[in-house]
Amino acid sequence: MKLSRRTFLKSSGVATAGLAVATAVPEKFLLWAEEAGLIKATYVPTFCEICFWKCGAIAKVLNGRVVKLDGNPVHGNSRGKLCARGNGGIGLLYDKDRLKSPLINVGKRGEGKYRKASWDEALGLVAEKMKGIKQQHGPEAMALFTHGAPTDHFLPLLSAYGTQNVGMPSFAQCRGPRDVGYELTFGEGPGSPERVDMINSKVIVLIGSHLGENMHNSQVQDFTEGLGRGAKLIVVDPRFSIAAGKAQQWLPIRPASDLALLLAWINIIITEGMYDRPYLDQFAEGFSDLAQAVSHCTPQWAEQETDIPAAQIMETARMMGQNAPAVTIHPGRHATWYGDDVQRSRALAILTALLGSWGRSGGLFMATKGSLTKGESKPFPEPGKEPLNTGGYPFAGAEGVTQAIREATISGAPYPIKGWFVSGTNLLKALPDQKRTLEAINKLDLLVVVDVMPMDTAMMADVILPECSYLERYDALAIGKGKSLSVSLRQPVIKPLYESQPGWWIAKELANRLDLADYFPWTTYEEKIKAQCVTAGISYDDLKKLGSLTIPDTAAPYITPENQPVFKTASGKIELSSKELKEKGFDPVPVYVRHPQPPEGFFRLTYGRSAVHTFSRTTNNPALNELYKENEVWINAKKAQALGLKNGEYVLLINQDGAKSNRIRVKATQRIREDMVYMVHGWGSTPKELSRSSLKGADDQGLVTRYAVDPIAGSTGMRVNFVKLQKEA
Amino acid sequence: MPKYAMVIDQRRCVACMACVVACKNENDVPPEQYRTRVLEMVEGEFPQLRMELRSELCNHCDNPPCVYNCPTGASYKRKEDGIVLLRKNRCVGCKACVAACPYDARYINHEKGFADKCTFCEHRLKEGKEPACVATCIGKSRIFGDMDDPKSPVRIALQNSDATVLLEGAGTRPRVYYIKKFSKPE
Amino acid sequence: MELTVTGVNALTSPHLHIWDWRVSLYLFLGGLSAGLAVMTTILHLRKGGALVKGEPAGYIAPLLVPVILGIGMFFIFLDLDRKLNVYWFYLTIQPLSPMSWGSWGLLVFFPVSGLFALASLPDDKLSWLMVEPLKNLAVATRVYLFPLAIINFAMGIFIGIYTGVLLSSFVARPLWNSAILPVLFLTSALSVGAALMIMIARTNKVRLWFTKMDIWMILAEMVILPLFFYGQFTSSGAHRQSIMPFFSLSHEYSFYGFSMLVLFVILPIALVMKMLEIKEDHEGELTSQALAKMRLSACLVLLGGLIIRLTFVYAGQLSKFT
Ligand SMILES: Nc1nc2c(c(=O)[nH]1)N[C@H]1C(S)=C(S)[C@@H](COP(=O)(O)OP(=O)(O)OC[C@H]3O[C@@H](n4cnc5c(=O)[nH]c(N)nc54)[C@H](O)[C@@H]3O)O[C@H]1N2
Ligand SMILES: Nc1nc2c(c(=O)[nH]1)N[C@H]1C(S)=C(S)[C@@H](COP(=O)(O)OP(=O)(O)OC[C@H]3O[C@@H](n4cnc5c(=O)[nH]c(N)nc54)[C@H](O)[C@@H]3O)O[C@H]1N2
Ligand code: SF4
Ligand code: SF4
Ligand code: SF4
Ligand code: SF4
Ligand code: SF4
Ligand SMILES: [Mo]
Repeated sequence: MKLSRRTFLKSSGVATAGLAVATAVPEKFLLWAEEAGLIKATYVPTFCEICFWKCGAIAKVLNGRVVKLDGNPVHGNSRGKLCARGNGGIGLLYDKDRLKSPLINVGKRGEGKYRKASWDEALGLVAEKMKGIKQQHGPEAMALFTHGAPTDHFLPLLSAYGTQNVGMPSFAQCRGPRDVGYELTFGEGPGSPERVDMINSKVIVLIGSHLGENMHNSQVQDFTEGLGRGAKLIVVDPRFSIAAGKAQQWLPIRPASDLALLLAWINIIITEGMYDRPYLDQFAEGFSDLAQAVSHCTPQWAEQETDIPAAQIMETARMMGQNAPAVTIHPGRHATWYGDDVQRSRALAILTALLGSWGRSGGLFMATKGSLTKGESKPFPEPGKEPLNTGGYPFAGAEGVTQAIREATISGAPYPIKGWFVSGTNLLKALPDQKRTLEAINKLDLLVVVDVMPMDTAMMADVILPECSYLERYDALAIGKGKSLSVSLRQPVIKPLYESQPGWWIAKELANRLDLADYFPWTTYEEKIKAQCVTAGISYDDLKKLGSLTIPDTAAPYITPENQPVFKTASGKIELSSKELKEKGFDPVPVYVRHPQPPEGFFRLTYGRSAVHTFSRTTNNPALNELYKENEVWINAKKAQALGLKNGEYVLLINQDGAKSNRIRVKATQRIREDMVYMVHGWGSTPKELSRSSLKGADDQGLVTRYAVDPIAGSTGMRVNFVKLQKEA
Repeated sequence: MPKYAMVIDQRRCVACMACVVACKNENDVPPEQYRTRVLEMVEGEFPQLRMELRSELCNHCDNPPCVYNCPTGASYKRKEDGIVLLRKNRCVGCKACVAACPYDARYINHEKGFADKCTFCEHRLKEGKEPACVATCIGKSRIFGDMDDPKSPVRIALQNSDATVLLEGAGTRPRVYYIKKFSKPE
Repeated sequence: MELTVTGVNALTSPHLHIWDWRVSLYLFLGGLSAGLAVMTTILHLRKGGALVKGEPAGYIAPLLVPVILGIGMFFIFLDLDRKLNVYWFYLTIQPLSPMSWGSWGLLVFFPVSGLFALASLPDDKLSWLMVEPLKNLAVATRVYLFPLAIINFAMGIFIGIYTGVLLSSFVARPLWNSAILPVLFLTSALSVGAALMIMIARTNKVRLWFTKMDIWMILAEMVILPLFFYGQFTSSGAHRQSIMPFFSLSHEYSFYGFSMLVLFVILPIALVMKMLEIKEDHEGELTSQALAKMRLSACLVLLGGLIIRLTFVYAGQLSKFT
């Protein structure tokens, strides 16, 4: 017998057969009945929402129940594979702790006392309050916090309502400064998925990017494929990450000193003449300013700052130089570390440019030429007041500076914010300085949360609107901008469980009650998508059957004589020295400034990902919780011994401002520097409704009472807190 | 007659656990029980460290002590393709096979009482699919195929690298091969 | 080395966890019935049948054999996770599985020991059988007393060995994986069999005879046990590691260390007590004190046998092939 990949097309003919009412086969006999051929499985393609990578998935439905999720082989982000979390999506679908019906708060805010309500009552209440706020304070007094797929429904709703105050944690707490840094250099960001051509790299450089633990599916596939094909790996990380375990060169850098290393590398590449001169001559400007500005950044100088031996800095720089341009300097993703994050990202971009890697095989490839028109919509009202979402930061993006809206909510200046609409984000976990978030929430007249789980922020809401999971709904088409343009469909695999409803339905129903029905002129979301497909010239039927379509002839990844890059910077060139920054009074070439290091007895608090969880959202997912039930605090084994701490024992973390964590287990390990501790982000949720994860592990965010705002983009550096460990009393 | 085998290229494993979750869903494995697992081993002292990542499952031994020790014939090695399988309706749940396996590859299904373990997803092989863990392996660390077919991925993988088996001294003659113990290139 | 495992089964990690006191009791009671079966044959056949005369143990001990065996089998049945499938033991013969031979062996042993018990029942005790057909059967089997006794003996030895082979067949568990283990279990079975016989016996000559037997058995045990440990110690690293729980002072293993200590104390004590017993003059009736001492020493032997089964079943599961 020959093994071939699933020929799922044949079997997925009846895409929505899973919707058929479940027959009476008891669950116990399901597998047996399938084996015996009594019932046939159906396969429905859709895409994943356990994180934001949007991998194509194919759901196997047996007797009305989803029993397996497989990767969709024709989908570029999954290529037939799902990560552990994507595989565990069924755990969310059947989590008994899900939000099941609309809930209205009957106690004080945050008390968690709710009563069940009908959709009509809950939506009516929300609409009434939103109307009230609009009347009294104007529509700008409502703010939207959103992340992920729900954004496609609630951003139009709130825009139609008349506010542009929107904050997504994906900017100021995540990719914001990175994207700004690359935009200032190349005129565009590195994309999401990042356009890293690791498959073809000869050298891959990860600077704090912990791929493997950071489980962005296709990117990790490319990473291992690149390594499999012989790429050399350089990992800069103060912790011996999974990626570091695969590296030829591991640089356990002193936290917060990455910029020094990068400037030294840039300096070596320049002084040893390893940069791509013709490439720079053609595409870049500001070289001599750059060379001048970094000339003092010698390896010896960097050794002092970074704790990395000068010889290793030299050797790694040469590894890059000798293999250019097939070198991927990974732009990173979660970039909000120390408040100088735009400049650090700039340094990454500059290094990429010097090596000639932008637009070259094995470096960073160029975005697809193709594009898709979004469906027409009635134009949204012009804002009456200046939106607050850029927070006054000169380069902040439209995704918004979340904490700026929060601060305005507390101060009431420049104008009052009275209502928050929250969808798909757990603000208490996502934003630094939790106390401020709570303070802001307590000032509100209205807090509405659309969520699937009773997470921390949802359990603060006046009204909780239960969205169904991604496996039970339509959402906006996902437009993929990898090498080629692609379009993917999310469609319901089964009907919504309980009384939960899709986000589009909630938005539309609210619009009806807010007299905004004109903005939602379709009756079902499928109808809207179909219309969009017609406009774009895509076959909806194919999309429904296949789940994802790649538009042919849209790839132009590398620079060729015919395919010349366009840099949308001020100068139209790669800006090694940035005019725009200079104009706004910032350093045109990044300048290293030493950051404070932890005082005696304290450790720098750092955090990252577990391969089997997504932030807080999966902590209660039964399929994933069983693999990792609570986070641990990593501490250097020697330090642990000195403190008399044993592996597995519980401690409390106390930060420089006296903030105390929930109890957390010690992981005493050789895999980390002595000046820091590390933990997986997203734990220590408080709602007791989370039967598995309630009060399990510690919440890093509770300890991030300080944050360093990047003056260029307004993003929040969150690794600037110091903690000590105390044995549990 | 295929001779199924798996090659695990440890250099490509990233300990993402996709295999672990996929296997559970595919095979209806009860909560807190597993047919496959992933080990992370780190040796040395900061900063001189070495990491080994290794996924483990039933080795479908050619000399399977679990089969020999089964008193009812519930455990057997299938003649046509060498997969070690279980006739669930014959199993008495005596656990002799669990004790006999040097790889701790078996467990007793705590919902149903029978012994259970990896089947190389033989039900998927029948449909022409790869085992679930292989299909979803993010690192392409798990490679599956027919040892008798010179073009199969397992043969190709084994040709190009040195491979070992686990606990060779146990005399079990495993059909799961491991490439390159230490993921860090020496 | 730092080790993190994701996807572990509690049943096998951090160590094997499959068998508990139920299996220990099964092995102990199986051994006890086997030992007792051997002893009853000896009682009937030694000295041309002179021993059994006027000795109620002659028919009580044979009766006890299937009873004890039955209780033992009940405990192993309790341990099965799919009890309804138990009949599969008898729809197949698995030549490489000791458990399969064992189940067939028990299937033979059970009726043989039962028939032997019937055959050895004297006339005045036939009324115990209540129903006529059984009484007739008992009378009919008397002719076969001798061959039944021989088979009973053989089966006793077989089952005695089997309880050890069952464990020693697992390459994966170094503590069990020793050729000496079946011999140890057999001698232990014989010694507890003799000890029980002493407790049942009513006549001094029989008590003394089996006390002497027991002395040899205990001596054998006291030689084989250290030999076993020595064998493990000089074998592979994993084998050496496997006996560590018995000789470790760490409180994690205190159960094993303490058990060994007890074993190494009670066996010699039992031995010495028995030596003293046979030295004493037993012409007349035993004083109640002497009787108590005799029973006590027999109890110590039984306890020793139980400790061996319990500790070996548990400690074996801590060991691992490496
Ligand atoms: N201290 C610290 N802070 C951080 C980070 C960190 O590592 N450490 N990481 C930062 C980064 S990189 C990011 S991107 C942000 C992420 O911040 P968030 O996106 O807020 O992260 P989650 O904690 O996953 O919260 C997601 C919320 O959406 C809900 N949800 C999940 N699926 C759905 C759905 O289909 N519909 C609806 N309506 N709701 C859904 C979940 O139940 C949960 O309440 O956090 C940032 N903040
Ligand atoms: N499994 C899983 N994967 C995910 C997510 C998830 O929730 N779960 N979230 C996704 C999202 S939204 C994002 S933004 C990405 C984030 O993924 P990355 O961009 O890879 O994340 P970071 O949080 O920046 O990186 C964490 C690493 O930085 C190291 N580190 C800490 N301080 C320093 C320092 O000063 N210098 C250097 N060089 N390294 C340091 C830590 O040791 C750790 O290994 O992950 C994505 N992938
Ligand atoms: S990376 Fe994993 S969790 Fe994220 S979308 Fe893809 S499969 Fe889902
Ligand atoms: S690995 Fe264990 S369960 Fe699998 S065949 Fe070998 S002995 Fe049997
Ligand atoms: S538990 Fe089942 S499969 Fe295992 S040895 Fe016993 S009868 Fe055989
Ligand atoms: S082959 Fe199938 S049963 Fe075996 S470990 Fe992989 S997924 Fe599980
Ligand atoms: S799926 Fe593959 S890469 Fe991931 S842990 Fe399993 S074997 Fe390793
Ligand atoms: Mo992020």
